[in-house]
Amino acid sequence: MISSIMLVDDEDLFHLVFEDACSLLDISLSIKSLNSADEAEKQFKKWFESNDKTHRPECVFVDLNIIGSSFDGIELIRKINFEYGNNVVIGIISSSNEPTEQAKALQAGAQFWIIKTDDIEPRLEEFRNDYDGYKNRTGSFKIYR
Amino acid sequence: MIINDDNLKKELITLLDERNISLEGNLVRLIDPNGDEEFQTYLTTCIEKDKEVRKRRLEITKQVQNQNKELTILNDENVKIMQELQQTLKDMEDSKNHIELQNRELIAWKQDNERMSLELRDEMIKSENARISAENAKKSAEDDLDLLQKKTQTELIGRIVKVALYVIIGVGISTTLMYIFSMLTGKDTQMIGSTWSNMFGILLTNAFSIIGTIMGVKYASEKKDE
Repeated sequence: MISSIMLVDDEDLFHLVFEDACSLLDISLSIKSLNSADEAEKQFKKWFESNDKTHRPECVFVDLNIIGSSFDGIELIRKINFEYGNNVVIGIISSSNEPTEQAKALQAGAQFWIIKTDDIEPRLEEFRNDYDGYKNRTGSFKIYR
Repeated sequence: MIINDDNLKKELITLLDERNISLEGNLVRLIDPNGDEEFQTYLTTCIEKDKEVRKRRLEITKQVQNQNKELTILNDENVKIMQELQQTLKDMEDSKNHIELQNRELIAWKQDNERMSLELRDEMIKSENARISAENAKKSAEDDLDLLQKKTQTELIGRIVKVALYVIIGVGISTTLMYIFSMLTGKDTQMIGSTWSNMFGILLTNAFSIIGTIMGVKYASEKKDE
């Protein structure tokens, strides 16, 4: 089980879906959901500057287009990976399936891309099974369709 | 996390049995039964109940999410329709403004036409007045001419009558004087008497004839004027 997860998505209802699905699938019991990429960046910056590793999540799920934020999910991944340390498992969770965006996400350091659909549980279950590979940095970039 | 208070454990188990109230949320999974089988069963029941609740909530959340998506699509369609309506409204407003402009031009044109009609009517009235004045002048001139002609005719007739009367009177007087002279000188009056008588009768007859002719001409002239 993942010790803690951060979800960055502008859709509040998806927060509930994601939290319940993670709990039911025993993915994680500790989930922090944020609506804004700016807020997430602020948190990571704070943890990085204070060298706080206890509060930092183990895994981060980022939406591609986060309405109300000054930058998109790929930019947030780039910032977390290259500016505030790359010790987290991080990837995109989005309804988009654009190969160009997926390529950009990979360049920014994303390890996975989960496509949001009505039935998210099978993808999260598959992700859970692959998680150790991401954590050990042995798993390659994967798209969960 | 371990709960060491046995009374608390019993109280929690009693709450579940009697009132169906159990611990909920991810916290339950962090509690260690620490070998207590009864409490282990209780925690398993709580976790199962929590999972059931989460499943139901997940389904409902998904339904709401789908409804939200449908509402978003409907909203987008509504926005599109509203934009189309606004565009149509704008087009109509433009058409209305165009028609109003045309109306204003037509009204101005109509006013010009009315003004011109009034001017034309005034001119026609003036023309009619001028025509009436001309006709009156013509009639007056004709009347004057007629009057002048009548006057001339009357004067001519008067002269003719006078001349005729002078001739008649002169012939009458001269014949009468010759007849008187014959009677006074004792000459034969047979011829002169008959001549006087005949002459006088002829003269009187001619005189009345002339007067009658004059009166007839005058009467005919008056009838023609009427």
